[in-house]
Amino acid sequence: MTREEIIRSCLIFATGLFLLAFTLGPFIWMIWISLADRADFLVTGQVEYSLSNYRQVLTAHSLHFLDYLSNSLWISTITAIIVTLFSSMAAYAVSRMRFPGRSVVPLLILAMSMFPQISIVGYLFEMFSKAGLINSHMALILPYIAWTIPIALWINMSYFTQIPLDLDKAALVDGASRMKVLYKIIFPLALPGIFSSALLVFIACFNEFLFAIMLTIDYTAQTLPVGIALFQGLHGEIPWGNLMAASAIASVPLVILTLIFQRYIVAGLMGGAVKG
Amino acid sequence: MASDNFLQQYEKSEVRTAWIFIAPLLLVVGIFVLVPVLGTFYTSLFLDVSYLPEQFVGLRNYTDLLSSPDFWQALRFTLAYTVAAVTLEAFFGVMFALLLNEVFPGRGLLRVVILIPWAIPTIVSARTWQLIYEYTYGIMNYLVVNSGLVSERINWLGTEFGAFSALVLADVWKTTPFVVLILLAGLQAIPEDIYQQAKVDGAGLFRRFYKITLPMLMPVLVISLIFRTIDSLRMFDLVYVLTGGGPGGSTRTLSYLGFEAFANDNFGMGSTVSVVTFVVAFAITLVYLKAGKFSEQLK
Amino acid sequence: MKQKMLFFLSGVFLFVLVLLLTGCQEQPRLTFMVGGAPNELAFFEGLLASFTAETGIEVALIRQSTDSTQRKQGILLALRGHRPDPDVMLLDVAWIGQIAASNWLEPLESYGINREDYFASIIKLADTYENRLIGLPLYIDGGLLYFRRDLLQKHGFAGPPQTWSELRQMAEQIVPVEREQNPNFWGYVWQGAQYEGLICNTLEFFTSAGGGFFNGTATPVIDQPANIEALRYMNELIHKQPISPPNTFTDMKEEEVRMHFHNGNAMFERNWPYAWGLHNAVDSPVKGKVGIAPLPGFMTGKSASTLGGWHIVMSKFSDKKPEAASLIKYLTSAPVQKKLSLKLGWNPGRVDVYEDEEVLTANPALKDLKQVFNNAVPRPIIPYYSNVSQILQKHVSAALANRATPEESLKKAQSEVQEMIKSYGIR
Repeated sequence: MTREEIIRSCLIFATGLFLLAFTLGPFIWMIWISLADRADFLVTGQVEYSLSNYRQVLTAHSLHFLDYLSNSLWISTITAIIVTLFSSMAAYAVSRMRFPGRSVVPLLILAMSMFPQISIVGYLFEMFSKAGLINSHMALILPYIAWTIPIALWINMSYFTQIPLDLDKAALVDGASRMKVLYKIIFPLALPGIFSSALLVFIACFNEFLFAIMLTIDYTAQTLPVGIALFQGLHGEIPWGNLMAASAIASVPLVILTLIFQRYIVAGLMGGAVKG
Repeated sequence: MASDNFLQQYEKSEVRTAWIFIAPLLLVVGIFVLVPVLGTFYTSLFLDVSYLPEQFVGLRNYTDLLSSPDFWQALRFTLAYTVAAVTLEAFFGVMFALLLNEVFPGRGLLRVVILIPWAIPTIVSARTWQLIYEYTYGIMNYLVVNSGLVSERINWLGTEFGAFSALVLADVWKTTPFVVLILLAGLQAIPEDIYQQAKVDGAGLFRRFYKITLPMLMPVLVISLIFRTIDSLRMFDLVYVLTGGGPGGSTRTLSYLGFEAFANDNFGMGSTVSVVTFVVAFAITLVYLKAGKFSEQLK
Repeated sequence: MKQKMLFFLSGVFLFVLVLLLTGCQEQPRLTFMVGGAPNELAFFEGLLASFTAETGIEVALIRQSTDSTQRKQGILLALRGHRPDPDVMLLDVAWIGQIAASNWLEPLESYGINREDYFASIIKLADTYENRLIGLPLYIDGGLLYFRRDLLQKHGFAGPPQTWSELRQMAEQIVPVEREQNPNFWGYVWQGAQYEGLICNTLEFFTSAGGGFFNGTATPVIDQPANIEALRYMNELIHKQPISPPNTFTDMKEEEVRMHFHNGNAMFERNWPYAWGLHNAVDSPVKGKVGIAPLPGFMTGKSASTLGGWHIVMSKFSDKKPEAASLIKYLTSAPVQKKLSLKLGWNPGRVDVYEDEEVLTANPALKDLKQVFNNAVPRPIIPYYSNVSQILQKHVSAALANRATPEESLKKAQSEVQEMIKSYGIR
């Protein structure tokens, strides 16, 4: 081995170890506490491990943990579906049709995504108060659609432009409508891109906190992040065991989604980032 | 001439169809982003507190805000936080991306593992970090005391600097993976033969990094940092859980300041903070766009 | 044609979705929003169950956190959003002024709810707005000093400290000895985190030094010398030969303080009466070793206790008003108030419970407490109190964190409160 190779292996080993400790450390700590019967075992040295924290969080009806979870899943899923629908239509128009404004629209939409959430949430609250929507799923789904659609548009655009225009032309000559072209030809071909944009939208909604804490009041509409931020357990001060068990369960859907579909997520992030 | 010709090529039916295709998107964004932004500006001109009659006050909320030390504190904090977090994310991002671009046993595993922090909801990671920093039995104090670094436990969230670093660290943990992913793709786009040529010319490991890798990575790095900057400037959730703005109101971001006003029923002031936050974020984005010649990338 | 139809369809789709999702959630239900320690919530759940058994009215409990800032934000947003839920909720005595002045509360007298059986002074202070009864005190609180009777005896002290300097001396003598067995042992734990509880503690320190926040209800006198002295003492508790833990000003809220004392890690504790029952619970490590006393003063006999307590109110936007009224009647009825006192150690808002034999045997301290409540200092009952509190929290916390001297921080607080009053156009 040359000197350079030795340096290289050392660097790889050290950085690799650091990466492992840095990324997994807090995650392992979370799981560890969730399995312990008390959070202060580092000081007291007494501890027993069991799944009782998980059992409590999942079965104690008064904690409403399952309500938060189902609200989150519903809201994120519905948003992802609608955003996929609307953004793929728009991406189709912008990337494959000729009309005045086709270069302005995406930039305009992109500019919208730069508004910090705080700059719209106050007025959304007023709007939804008047419409009687505060504390409903709709109060989150509607702003989430508007808030995530720009990134979905850009990801879908970057995929759509890679598909040869000749395919559309051939179909149009055969008498197909634009809508049919979109759903029969473009959609299947760009499916990986559409899937990754939908996935990213889902994750963004699952994560969102500011809208959720201001526009919902109780467990009938609150999402997991709000539930966990305001979490009170069944006993003690901050019930770390319950809380970490809830956190671990809340992370599971996203971690699994991410690990299974990592290729799509990376592709989506790239599409969104490089283009947008 | 040419452009006239171009314009005539639009087909009327196609133009109409195109707008129909875009309409739903424009509609949602218009109603749920554009209208609220304008509405927020409108509200910011009022004294809007539920127990007082609503009253038009012009720009008084703005003059009140700009003369309040809270605002400058929050602005300073937001900017310092953004600079610190984004710098560290760039550093660790480059480091990890370089690692994951090398060929070595276990690389596949590390590429998967790095995604975990990114996949965990911010609030969950905030709660986890809250427990890590816990004074009496958090693992951070356990580690620093038992390793002999310090003799007494540190009250991490108790000093301005401690709370600041705690927030930055939690943010770096959560978002570095995003930077790594984008940089990794950038690295993979650098052709291997440039390195081979440099090797033949006798350039060492570090020289190759400075002369080839870093310059070629720059555009992608700038893009990922723009994203991170925009995101950090609007940070809210970590503060809400980890410090609640304390100690002494020293860790309030602009978004948190706005939320605080809304949640205390002062919608006029909340809107004013929101508008100013937007202006700050927008100005910084513009500077970035210019500096990074980002607009060229958009073509 | 086809495209027009698509456009139309997507519009309809969106519209139907809106209707569907809002429509199906609007089943009127009776809800009771309450926060607190887990055992308190469990107790309320039991009460609601027996309410349902008695009246046949279903009621859902909406849990809030123990953090009273978060509780207030949740309630304000619900009321400002004109939500039909929660129908019934508990308001801290500190915010009832603001919420009543916003005209969000339903007057109660037309539902046959009356005020006779309650502390008249408190009803007058907090539960009436424009001469209408808008709430009832569910329970009353005042700050108390908890102490370890066993340790006081062990170290040869006759009784609890009368003054703050006595408290200091006792702690300085006891803590080093106790630390030999328990390195986590501290002298005095109190609510110092930046939240409403800090202001309750601050008001006690200030008042017991002869100071206070307001002169009457409209003139702030925050930077008076007595207050500055008191704040300096608070700072020294944490920083100069510390007898309060260093995380006092970041972490210490009611439950953190209580657990500290509960686990045998503190000599003195400032807390509300609810801690009494928990400290004396069967599985409590300090069971039988705890005493309570009025808080010390800067001079003997200058003790001050902040008036706390939670008031039950009905939302003006409730969609179940008669049922909500029944719930309020039930929760403020003598048997339930007695249960509150026996099970949670809370101090009923009803006067008649203080005469009840059973209650007095179970909680002999109650007689003295009535005295404490009669002399308790209220926080200013003004609509903009929360702004005042927020300004104070920020500056007192800054002084505790050593980010400003007591004098600087109170001067700033004073001028900010004056500015705020001016910009709100309040006379």
